Amino acid sequence: MKASVRHHGKVTVVDLSGKITIGDGDIKLRETVNALLDEGRRAVILNLIGVSYMDSAGIGELVACYKRAAEKGAKLKLLNPGGKVQDLLVLTRLQEIFEIYRDEREALTSF
Amino acid sequence: MGDIVKLQLHSRIAYVDLVHAMTEELARQARFPKPAALDIALAVREAFINAVKHGNSMDDAKLVEVEFERNASRFRVWVRDQGPGFDWEKTADPRDEQNLVRTSGRGIFFMKSFVDSVIFQNLPGRGTQVMLEKKLEAPARGQAQSGRHR
Repeated sequence: MKASVRHHGKVTVVDLSGKITIGDGDIKLRETVNALLDEGRRAVILNLIGVSYMDSAGIGELVACYKRAAEKGAKLKLLNPGGKVQDLLVLTRLQEIFEIYRDEREALTSF
Repeated sequence: MGDIVKLQLHSRIAYVDLVHAMTEELARQARFPKPAALDIALAVREAFINAVKHGNSMDDAKLVEVEFERNASRFRVWVRDQGPGFDWEKTADPRDEQNLVRTSGRGIFFMKSFVDSVIFQNLPGRGTQVMLEKKLEAPARGQAQSGRHR
């Protein structure tokens, strides 16, 4: 999995690509989000458009990031989950937990 | 009985992508459409992770066996570990309200969601075996006909 970070004022967008799975993607996701929270970023959007699929460890790490963000008073939102990733969010009912956006501009102004 | 492919791997999470890729490729060869092949691979992936983590307790010396069998109507995969066994029936439903934001506990749920049948079995003194099965849907009539003309 690859992660690249862009800042739009107080909001940070993390463009993710590849797969979020055990032993690689889940660790990279954790490190990226932890680093942003440690820097004091409090508004984070994970752009999932380039993510092909996740396994249970990847989904678990997504939830862990959400909880860590909340503990630090930050908000973590999702942008453009597609195909299998969207299916997994529905299957696990996590679409009821996360704020999910289809339009980046709308996501950026939602904080 | 159809074609059989069997793998034996040490209990390493690093092998999970290999198992995933092999499952997806064999499922594609068995004429499953791409999304169904990914579903099977995701289910087998979870079974392999379970075998390594909960079955063999990450003991590198213990092996995980993955056996594939495919025929014209279905694709079956057995994943066997060498651990003391674990209680797969104790897993909570991750979709229950109180479990929604748990960071683990979705592996068996994923397995059951992505294939038609999942059967666990304790093999006394030998570990745990899980069998995953996905039925191959017959192609629609039009598709079968166009296939013959290719």
